[in-house]
Amino acid sequence: MNLHRIFVEPWQSHASHYWPVFAMAFFVTVACGLIGNYLVLRRISLVGDAISHSVLPGIAIAFILTGSRSGTPMFIGALVAGVAATLLIEVLHSRSRLKQDAAIGITFSTLFAIGVILISIHGAHTDLDLDCVLFGKMDFLPGREPVFLGVPGVTVTMAVVAICVGLLIIIFYKELLVSSFDPSLAASMGINPRLVHYLLMAILSVVVVAAFISVGAILVIAMLILPAATACMLSDRLWLMMILSVLHAFISSLGGVHLAVALQVPTAPASVVVGAVCFVVVWIVSPRQGLISLWLRSHRADRAPEVRSAGNV
Amino acid sequence: MPDKNVHVPALEVHDLTVSYLRRPVLYGVDFAVPSGRLVGIVGPNGAGKSTLIKSIMGLVPSSGGWAKVFGQPVKEQITRVGYVPQRESVDWDFPVNVMDVVLMGCYGRIGLIRRTGRAEQAKARAALDKVGMLPYAGRQISNLSGGQQQRVFIARALAQESELYLMDEPFAGVDAATEAAIITLMKEMRDAGKTVIVVHHDLATAREYFDMLLLLNMRVVAFGETGEVFTGELLQQTYGGRLTVLSEIADKLAKEGS
Amino acid sequence: MTDFVPARYFTPLLAAFFFLMFAGDAAAARIGELVQTDPWQQMRRFFTFSDPGLRLGLIGALLFGATCGLLGSFIVVRKMALIGDAISHAVLPGVALGFLWSMDKDPLAILVGATIAGLTGSLVVELIQRTTKIKQDAALGIVLASFFAVGLCLIRMIQNNNGASKITGLKSYLFGDIAVLDRQDILTITAVVIITVLLVVLLYRPLLTIGFDREFAYSIGLPVKLLDGIFQLFLAFSIVVALQAVGVVLVSALLITPAAAAYLLVNRMHHMLWVASAIGMLSAVLGVFFSFLGSNLPTGPFMVLGASSVFLVAYLFAPRHGRVTRWLRHRSRRRDVSNENTLKSIYRILEQGAANGAGNVVQIDKLAGERRVSKAELLTDLRRLRRIGAVDLIAQGRDVMLTDAGLQRARRVVRNHRLWEVYLTNEAAYASNHVHDDAEKIEHFLSEEKVAEIEHQLDYPEVDPHGKPIPGRIGA
Repeated sequence: MNLHRIFVEPWQSHASHYWPVFAMAFFVTVACGLIGNYLVLRRISLVGDAISHSVLPGIAIAFILTGSRSGTPMFIGALVAGVAATLLIEVLHSRSRLKQDAAIGITFSTLFAIGVILISIHGAHTDLDLDCVLFGKMDFLPGREPVFLGVPGVTVTMAVVAICVGLLIIIFYKELLVSSFDPSLAASMGINPRLVHYLLMAILSVVVVAAFISVGAILVIAMLILPAATACMLSDRLWLMMILSVLHAFISSLGGVHLAVALQVPTAPASVVVGAVCFVVVWIVSPRQGLISLWLRSHRADRAPEVRSAGNV
Repeated sequence: MPDKNVHVPALEVHDLTVSYLRRPVLYGVDFAVPSGRLVGIVGPNGAGKSTLIKSIMGLVPSSGGWAKVFGQPVKEQITRVGYVPQRESVDWDFPVNVMDVVLMGCYGRIGLIRRTGRAEQAKARAALDKVGMLPYAGRQISNLSGGQQQRVFIARALAQESELYLMDEPFAGVDAATEAAIITLMKEMRDAGKTVIVVHHDLATAREYFDMLLLLNMRVVAFGETGEVFTGELLQQTYGGRLTVLSEIADKLAKEGS
Repeated sequence: MTDFVPARYFTPLLAAFFFLMFAGDAAAARIGELVQTDPWQQMRRFFTFSDPGLRLGLIGALLFGATCGLLGSFIVVRKMALIGDAISHAVLPGVALGFLWSMDKDPLAILVGATIAGLTGSLVVELIQRTTKIKQDAALGIVLASFFAVGLCLIRMIQNNNGASKITGLKSYLFGDIAVLDRQDILTITAVVIITVLLVVLLYRPLLTIGFDREFAYSIGLPVKLLDGIFQLFLAFSIVVALQAVGVVLVSALLITPAAAAYLLVNRMHHMLWVASAIGMLSAVLGVFFSFLGSNLPTGPFMVLGASSVFLVAYLFAPRHGRVTRWLRHRSRRRDVSNENTLKSIYRILEQGAANGAGNVVQIDKLAGERRVSKAELLTDLRRLRRIGAVDLIAQGRDVMLTDAGLQRARRVVRNHRLWEVYLTNEAAYASNHVHDDAEKIEHFLSEEKVAEIEHQLDYPEVDPHGKPIPGRIGA
């Protein structure tokens, strides 16, 4: 039975290798989703996209130099590339008449192109190739050496990153909120908004690098934005948005694993598709901003013209 | 006011209502401007002054009421109406020069595909000359001062050769010389039979600049000849209790004037 | 004067393209099928155009390089760069569906599918922005990634269901491979390019007006929404035709980067269109060249790097806005100022000593004291002044003598300084002890016309507020 293959088999003991895949997908989407709330709030979502593309040359150089994909060198390489991209965007648009959008576009495409060329020149490699950049290698996790309770090292790293992101957000909740909402107010309270910005970018780079192995460089933007965007249609409160993004992360990673099995596609794009479906569903049924409620409201306004509040914007 | 066109107002607005994100910003605005007048629209920040002229132009959707120009809907009379947006609404780094911007004034008349010819060039030149910007015709627009930018915008409107002009804050952030030049030009336009409606933020000068005033604060507080509506009571109503000092000054001005 | 007339130049160009195209041998091998050869041989093959597959690739590159530059210019000035990026990612599911529909790499089916997907993407972005409080950046991110993910899933499913033979065709859509372009592709590209150029030529003025001032465009009755729709349609078209060679991931760079470089280089929109097309073509050809040298490398990244290098050059050396040019200009202005200050000091010393009949000669030690700089620094300045013929060093470098040219320049600076002081005191009601610092700056930048105007306005004053004489006009 097909349904049995899709929904039951992955979790049965003989195929328990889906657990690490699901765990990885969940940790990636949680870490991305939490930090993504601030990107959406600060209206710099596409800087997230830019950074996820820009870390590629850092990863490629570290990989080529050390020949391994493990840990520290890659983090350092990617962190350097990520911060360099942030600085480059800043320099390009503040020191010339170029606008920010073009500066972002030029920076990330150039760095990404360098990364792609490095990877292609270095030749196909099972650990780092162009497929990895596009699809991620989430599904190859079970074949890797387990380091902890049958869980491979990258998943442990991702879990640690996700927990750290969560802790940092809890500790600096007030500072992040104030500096995202009103940078000048933050400055008057002694919080340096530029410092917060660069810290956020650094955390973002770390998250993006940790996620790179499993989701690649391009799909990360979906993991960053979709949970926050879905959450902000359901709630106005930041802490509730955070909780809702974790929920969204859970649904999309669980659904992603099953969809991947059903369609025989990689898990990373499949979870993004599930996440997007969640977004669309919420967009339609959300009580305050949903399309249905919007339609109902304008319908009511049509029938009662003395209430001049037709949704015209 | 004896005027040959008094029966067909240059601009007639009836029960115009505008909401933004379901929150009304203008309620049932009613007024009619006879042609050949210079009219100021004044009111506090957030009174909906810019929204009013934008919705007259059809740039902001209205949720009720209508606006007519020379007795017909604005859409059908679009070439008879010239609109001057706020200076800050455009990107002044845009790669065009002064002449290019002024020529845009002619694009409405010549149609989508036709090129600008000698006639349009001449019109644009004349318009630039009127605002004293002819020597700057070849200048890249990013090298202009605020006042010069505003003059270019006015020149573009002149090149449109319309009969009714709607101008959004043309005096905001310009130098005194430009302000004087623009108001002189507006008076000339009025004397040539054009109707000019100006959103204005400075009460102190509103009285001497305009023939008629529209006092606006989400609704029409008063509309009429400047001398009749520029009274402390009406200004008080327009500006609410918040700007009492200003209305006292206005009161004083009114007393001295009469 | 301001007319944009590319048609007259484009006809011969197009004729050349067609000649190249049909001169090629249809049965010849494609670039990708070449056996590995050494770079020098490859380079020779490149520059002799002896490879018909390469010829096709080059024609394609030139064509879509030009359209990307044209449409990219509008994108850059309208600040739509990231919208272009989102649309270019959003076409991927359309490519896959077009492929599924025809079960082959049929360029027309893919063009239609991808265009529909691209337009749907931009519609969804607009719909999200209009109906929710999600802002543009997040809306773009959502559409970009979701469409892209759907596309990836579809491609993987196609790959699962088909043999490996078809996979190569689809894969080129991700990172770009110029070698897969065949004659049918080139015909499609040519058709798209011709109508894009026609569109830009015919609708240049309205598009320019909308780009500069949207509200004004509405107010003069231009069909803004219709024109926007047409523009988006053509944007989608040109993204799609560049797709195979550049790849979904990087095609937006070919739209943005050449146009951004052009934006830094020129000041008029129609010049920008020309320059951006030229840079687009150059980048595309550079991309073909490098990927040809090391065969088996994706083309797209090299095209992007080509465009980025051109951009870097423009960013550093653009005649007016370039970083290096600006720095050089700054430095030469600083030198001018320092030169004039030295001349001024010499003049002052001469002025004090005029009664002693010291001529035009001043001791360097004394000058160093007046200028408050070390002797070594002063000598560097003086050598520079000697090079431009303003001073002579005499008495074994102990004294300095003003030449006639130097004297004139010194008089002019001193006159500007004192005149400005008078102007500030008389016209701007500055206190006379507050005017020196301002005059110290302005003296170097007063033009002769301004000076004449001020002199006239002040009725030709003879002394400054401190009672010192103002040197007369040059030659007077």
